[in-house]
Amino acid sequence: MIFYVMIFQVSIILFVLSIIIPLIFINVKKSLSRTLSLVMLILACVGLLFFSFSVLMYETINFQILLSGFTFKFSIDSLASFFIILISLIALSVGIYSISYCEHFESEIKKNLLVSLTSFFILSMVFVVASQDLISFLFFWELMSISSFMLVMFDYDKPETKKAGIFYFVMTQISTIFLIFAFVFIYTHINGLEFTQLEGLSAPVASLIFLSLTVGFAIKAGVIPFHKWLPYAHPASPSSISALMSGVMIKVAIYGFLRFLFLLPEQQLWWGILILIAGTVSALLGVIYALKEHDIKRLLAYHSIENIGIILLGVGLYMVFSFYQFGDLAMISLFAALFHTLNHALFKSLLFLSAGSVVHKMHTKNIEEMGGLIKKMPYTALLFLIGAISISALPPFNGFVSELMIFQVFLKFSVLSSPIIKIILLLSLSLFALTSALAAVCFVKAFGIIFLASPRSEEAEHAKEVNLSMIIGPAILAILCIFLGIFSYQIFQVIGLKIGIRFGLPNLLIVSTIAVFLGSLTYILMKFVGNNKSRVTETWGCGINSQNASMEYTASGFSQPVTTIFKSIYQPKLVNQKSFYDQEGTFFKEGEAKVTMIKFFEEYLYMPISRAISQVSSILYYLQNKVELYPYILANFFAIIVLLLYLGVIIR
Amino acid sequence: MNNFLLFAVVNLTLVLFLSPLYISVIKKVKAIIQGRRGPSIIQSYRNIFKLLKKESLYSHNSSFIMRVAPYIDFTGSLLLSLFVPLVFIPNNSNVFGNIILFLYILMLGKFVIALSGLDAGSTFGGMGSSREMSLSAIIEPTIIVVFAAVVFSFDSINFFEIIKSSLLSQNHIFLWLLLIPFIIIFITESSRIPVDNPETHLELTMIHEAMILEQSGKNLALIEWSSAIKQLLLIGIIVNIFIPIGISTSMNILALSIAVIIFFVKSLLFAIGIGIFESNIAKLRFFRIPNLFAISYFLSFITILIEVLL
Repeated sequence: MIFYVMIFQVSIILFVLSIIIPLIFINVKKSLSRTLSLVMLILACVGLLFFSFSVLMYETINFQILLSGFTFKFSIDSLASFFIILISLIALSVGIYSISYCEHFESEIKKNLLVSLTSFFILSMVFVVASQDLISFLFFWELMSISSFMLVMFDYDKPETKKAGIFYFVMTQISTIFLIFAFVFIYTHINGLEFTQLEGLSAPVASLIFLSLTVGFAIKAGVIPFHKWLPYAHPASPSSISALMSGVMIKVAIYGFLRFLFLLPEQQLWWGILILIAGTVSALLGVIYALKEHDIKRLLAYHSIENIGIILLGVGLYMVFSFYQFGDLAMISLFAALFHTLNHALFKSLLFLSAGSVVHKMHTKNIEEMGGLIKKMPYTALLFLIGAISISALPPFNGFVSELMIFQVFLKFSVLSSPIIKIILLLSLSLFALTSALAAVCFVKAFGIIFLASPRSEEAEHAKEVNLSMIIGPAILAILCIFLGIFSYQIFQVIGLKIGIRFGLPNLLIVSTIAVFLGSLTYILMKFVGNNKSRVTETWGCGINSQNASMEYTASGFSQPVTTIFKSIYQPKLVNQKSFYDQEGTFFKEGEAKVTMIKFFEEYLYMPISRAISQVSSILYYLQNKVELYPYILANFFAIIVLLLYLGVIIR
Repeated sequence: MNNFLLFAVVNLTLVLFLSPLYISVIKKVKAIIQGRRGPSIIQSYRNIFKLLKKESLYSHNSSFIMRVAPYIDFTGSLLLSLFVPLVFIPNNSNVFGNIILFLYILMLGKFVIALSGLDAGSTFGGMGSSREMSLSAIIEPTIIVVFAAVVFSFDSINFFEIIKSSLLSQNHIFLWLLLIPFIIIFITESSRIPVDNPETHLELTMIHEAMILEQSGKNLALIEWSSAIKQLLLIGIIVNIFIPIGISTSMNILALSIAVIIFFVKSLLFAIGIGIFESNIAKLRFFRIPNLFAISYFLSFITILIEVLL
């Protein structure tokens, strides 16, 4: 036990060193300090992995860190250790990726700062998960927010980055306000700071705590309608940071939600239904918004919203089934939610890192300018393909397994007694199926337009494969994606999840073995029966001798059927402005035509709130600065008279 | 396990050698209704054989995706044929028969073929991929609700058990409401009229055929064969859930051969029905197709509502 705590402490010291070293050598031209620091980061992650696996297997570990009269209490149980495994796996591959990725920034200061801040960000997330009392949790939660804010603002000289950074900062602080609100209630109830089971709460207070916790964590997790910071912050930040934010940070919010959910007493049915509906809406709208995006990082950001929705579906099912006392089904859904959390962390970081390699070589995020990269960057293409298959939930990869579990729980809807709940579950199930299929559409588009066909721009023509470290980093994640998928059945057996096996989860190892067998049989058969001659020639272009890239299908063309079918959600508007030389409109002078999509949540939710706040503050501003002294005195005079009258006459 | 091995051999043989027949049968029925003689009943076998003997052409633009996609698709179809009991129900297996796994292996095939459609950089391929993926996405809610109704009625998620309990009990009257949604799913998944037209080439209405336009030689043969297999499996699911008569549960040779004959009759009747249906309907405009899906979604939803509320 002391041995494990020592490993944890050594890892933390390595983390701290990897934060400090680049700061000391911030202006030195050599890359040695950065590499050294990243190696320390990687070692620390390996240490944490070792530590948390042993915690997961054996027991909870408690310890404290005293910091000049201030005590941080840590407790690492199986839930926390699961999330530490998740954090350190992603951090490990991001660390390897960063060894060459951080070198492409222009100044030495920026390179060193990126490395140092990355370590700081990862460390703060580890501490959030390890925290055992309200104050430590809030303290490290804020450290996590601030360090990620600084990383979003990394390219601070670009105007869109400034907007993204401020947007992110405001949202993250609103999230903290809701958390503090809930924490105050919890604190007054238990009269202490440690996480303990909350008993004897009255139903309205419990619901109030639940709601403010849900909003607080939902903002950080990017649940619709609190999602707007994600598509702004991800394109603005460096790719390694997007991978960390999308893969890990939003999962820390899920961790927080689960941690406090377990502390709350007897849950009510509508909590579960609320989470289920929030999950369904996030999943479906997330993928529908993703389909129209052509900025690769923003597309991936919307897919994070979708997958958070799927995780919430699992959590919602857990809450509903545990309300109705179906212990087994509840456990399976919770396990599915956690497994999807891990899976999403793996394939989303993989996608962000490989997309980062593409953006790094292409100098643009617009997929319409890419194309044909599979021949220029074959390894990156393969990595992205593995990520795309995983996120599209296709067998035998890991994304499939967790979605399969959620599907299976959904299909058990008939055990519930209430018909209305059954219908809600059924509707949610069909929208979930739609979500998962649309994700496949979106990734056929993303992979097809970025990597296949012929290059659509000069830059795509001359793109080159990235350095080794930028391949090895994501490759670790890709291998895990395949491994967790194919060996899922065996993994469940090892960790003793007997319910899963009784539940009829298919053994994907046998399925894949048979698939490989049938595949090789087909291949051999075709070698003997079929004609083995092949010829490389032109693409058929309706009689045109040579085709060029402008004839290829574009990303907007690809998503057009879906855009038309979901017209009522996008509400596309055609703006057509023309001006003419004459009054009859015969001689065309100039004009502009564009299609705009509605930004529903921004126009109808965010902007009205911000307008209302600025109106109130303009009135306050007027009262504070524009009004003379006399009206103030007069107002005070009347106020005192009214108060006196109230106290003297009415109350008596 | 022995039991399962027999099942695998029987099913693989059946789908490999029987599946192209149904394509010809539907064509023949349509031809007769249109007053033509139509192609021979073994024409689809000849087509596959002819394609196998031709050389494969690849575009300059294409990558390994185009070369491996047909194999993945075909292997997927072979794998799927181990999921659906056609003439013989083996003992339960926790590996095969899972409905969700079935649906997603189907999706995997589409995913790789859609990628190969984009690979050559031809406009037709891209258009086909886009349309095929969009349609397969918006039919998905219907599929899942239809199967949810089936799972609800038979209380199992495994095709083996579903067909077995369908064979043993005959009192699922409401299930017949699902027939129309099932047929719409069948039509969509096997790219038939009114959703898609398998007979046109180079027309702006086509979906599946546009996507595989750049494929040739044995790759094309594999893709066509694989579509035929999927079509037969869907027929198998439908006829065996609704009319489970004749499926054998024992390894008896006599019972097995009777089962094969009965299955052959049932599925041929279904194929003839599809041919007659297709002759009486025109291809829908692309953006009208979601309405068709909406109808089938509501029908299947109502089925579940009735079962839940009664």
